[in-house]
Amino acid sequence: MIEFDNVVRRYGRTLAVDGLKLTIPRGELFALLGPNGAGKTTTIRMLVGLLRPDAGQVRVCGIDCTKNPREASSHLGYVPDEQFLYDKLSGRELLEFSGEMHGLNAAALRDRIERESNRFELTGFLDRLIETYSHGMRQRLIFATAMLHDPDVLVVDEPMVGLDPRSARVVKDLLRAEADAGKTVLMSTHTLAVAEEISNRIGILHHGKLDFLGTLDELRHTLAAPEKALEHLFLEMTNGHVANGVKVQPS
Amino acid sequence: MISVGNPIVERLPSPEAESRGFHRMERRMLRAQVAQAISSSRLRGSLIAILSLLLWLGLFQIVYEGFVFMRATLPEPIHEQVVKAIFNAFFFFLFGMLVFSSCVIMYGSLFRHAEIAFLLTMPIRAERVFLHKYRHAVLLSSWGFVLLGSPMLVAYGIVARVSWYYFALLLPMLISFVFIPAGIGAILLLLVMRLFPRNRTHVMVAGGALVLAFALWYFWSLFTQRESDLLTPRWFQDMLGRLQLTEQKPLPSWWLSSALLETASHAWAEGMLFLALLVANALFVREVAAGFAARIYRTAYCRAAGIGGAAGRVWMGGFDQLLSRSLGFLDPQVRLVLLKDVRVFRRDPVQWVQFVILFLLLVLYFINVHPFGYTVHVAQWISIVSFMNFSVVGLLMSTFTTRFVFPLVSLEGRRFWLLGLLPLKRSSILWAKFCFSMTALALPCSVLIFLSDWMLGVPGLLAGQHQWTSMLLCLGLSGIGVGLGARFPNVREQSPSRIAAGFGGTLNLVVSTIYIIAMLVLTTLPCHLYVARLIEPGFSLSGEFARFQMMIQPWLIAGTIASLFVGIFAMLFPMWLGIKTFSAQEFH
Repeated sequence: MIEFDNVVRRYGRTLAVDGLKLTIPRGELFALLGPNGAGKTTTIRMLVGLLRPDAGQVRVCGIDCTKNPREASSHLGYVPDEQFLYDKLSGRELLEFSGEMHGLNAAALRDRIERESNRFELTGFLDRLIETYSHGMRQRLIFATAMLHDPDVLVVDEPMVGLDPRSARVVKDLLRAEADAGKTVLMSTHTLAVAEEISNRIGILHHGKLDFLGTLDELRHTLAAPEKALEHLFLEMTNGHVANGVKVQPS
Repeated sequence: MISVGNPIVERLPSPEAESRGFHRMERRMLRAQVAQAISSSRLRGSLIAILSLLLWLGLFQIVYEGFVFMRATLPEPIHEQVVKAIFNAFFFFLFGMLVFSSCVIMYGSLFRHAEIAFLLTMPIRAERVFLHKYRHAVLLSSWGFVLLGSPMLVAYGIVARVSWYYFALLLPMLISFVFIPAGIGAILLLLVMRLFPRNRTHVMVAGGALVLAFALWYFWSLFTQRESDLLTPRWFQDMLGRLQLTEQKPLPSWWLSSALLETASHAWAEGMLFLALLVANALFVREVAAGFAARIYRTAYCRAAGIGGAAGRVWMGGFDQLLSRSLGFLDPQVRLVLLKDVRVFRRDPVQWVQFVILFLLLVLYFINVHPFGYTVHVAQWISIVSFMNFSVVGLLMSTFTTRFVFPLVSLEGRRFWLLGLLPLKRSSILWAKFCFSMTALALPCSVLIFLSDWMLGVPGLLAGQHQWTSMLLCLGLSGIGVGLGARFPNVREQSPSRIAAGFGGTLNLVVSTIYIIAMLVLTTLPCHLYVARLIEPGFSLSGEFARFQMMIQPWLIAGTIASLFVGIFAMLFPMWLGIKTFSAQEFH
């Protein structure tokens, strides 16, 4: 479970996140949408412990991410939008390092590496240096690293970038399956079709404020635009056709 | 904090297991690098090893001759005191520089490196991440320290006829010493980043300025005295007295110096005692730094990462406009690429701050040249010292081009989608980088040499000749740096220092050094001999060099003409090589 409790975050004089109040329960796949500079990445970086809120609290599974970052991050799997990988390690070595840091023992580590390499079709090149991987292969390896320790919460920033259609399908199915299995998934994306296809709820951040929170049907209802695609609704919402403060509270 | 007995925390690895995990990862990366070097670039690896060995031997030879000279000319008690003073002063100033450089290195690695964002999102202790980078900083610092310091210490050991255990203990002594300034630098950095995240640059610059002001004052007070006293026994005693600051017992530099000298004088027990003192303090400083990191590193990182808004804004600035106008004679495309390079370089202080420190230290030294009063004692010294100063400036410029100019083309590799798609000739990109290098080199080089000559009261002919040769040096060094950078690019690497440390960078350093030596032999050396004769009519070359006496004037004339051709060749040939490779280069 993820909780943002009146979270405020500033960059100098710029208010990046303005009183964010959001709860994402277990078993939900939540899509965080918003134009560039809306505060999505700031929100995610506070959740994974790379930034601290100026006010409010961010909690993962009830653990305060600021006070107990190590404990909180042990519940998290994070797929960042900017890839960092150790080029001089092989895929297997990176997975071993990540697993060890999450406290997996040797036997469990072996099984999990086998499982993730099968799931993300990494088997053929798991023992090659990462520097030889293509962008898509690297992205799949990052997913495998994030999933290795069976996190309760999966945080994914722009998951589809660089993935071929087959890998994209694998990732979409994976995210849905994780949510169905009772995990919490937070996905930030500009790929609205993906959000529309797999998410339970969406949140639209605009100028640091959550302008909308609810299901796609609720958004259509709010904007009185039944049958419209999420792309249309999103543009209408963020272009200012809808007055600020139109919000649908979760049921 | 998390309570003891928490099952999640108990499941996470212990500090020792974390440490083992990091060590294993580093070993694996090192093994991959070594295996790659052996399988794909054996020639490069061998060349780097040979060139490093040559550099070491060159340094060793110079210092060895110095120690032999001192032993032969100074009476034993004075010799002993002078050696002690040299060791104390050397390690004292090195200590200060290591504190500062580890601060800069760790700022880059702890607060700006993408790896940190990866590590901090995992359940790893903040102090483990810190120690991982701290070890890297120590390795980086000690590499240069051992390469530069060991020739002096080995040479001293041979001249002083020390026992075998002096050589065996050298490395442990040097390495345990390096941990101390690196730890102090790290603690200072953490405190600055925690307390002044927004004004960190100002605080660091102010701190650096304070240290520099102190050094300036200290140097000035060290050498300010009556010229008539120079090199007299009274001068020696006075100088030793003034160096007492470097002999303070609480200073780690004094412990190292004492450890070395005691071991060298066969007092191995005392030497071991000082080594134990160094090791204990190195461990202590490491523990304190790790303790600080555990408490404040993550907060400091988050604060630094959150600095944006006004602090992140950049301005065109009067400097860029002035530069753009003053380079109006260049092709507009070349000028724009050059301006882009200047902005990128200027906005990355981690890149240039160490060079600026070195530059300022040289300024400091040149300003302090005057109090020696060479004119009063040995008139030829004007020529000798100015020659040495000129050579040092040349070598500094060659390290600058290796460190900053050589990687420029490689760094474009990942950005080449931008430059490569512009309606721009590839040769224009290289010429822009050449002009960038010339712009960055010519002014500081000229100013440094002018300062040295002015403080020494060098005759006009020699000063003019220095300026002429310095311009040729800048021309050739820029051509070599850009040309070889394009001929041997490393587009996979994003770190300029690693690009410079590779085969191409090493080759660049060697070719630049050969070029500098060639220019010195062609023009500066005959000019100095010629001027020495003007200053002191009785001056003549002695011993085996006497036969060159009559050749000085023709050597000077022919050398000056030849230097022009050599300079142009050194500029054009590598540029031609670079343009040829760069035009055919594919960027994946």
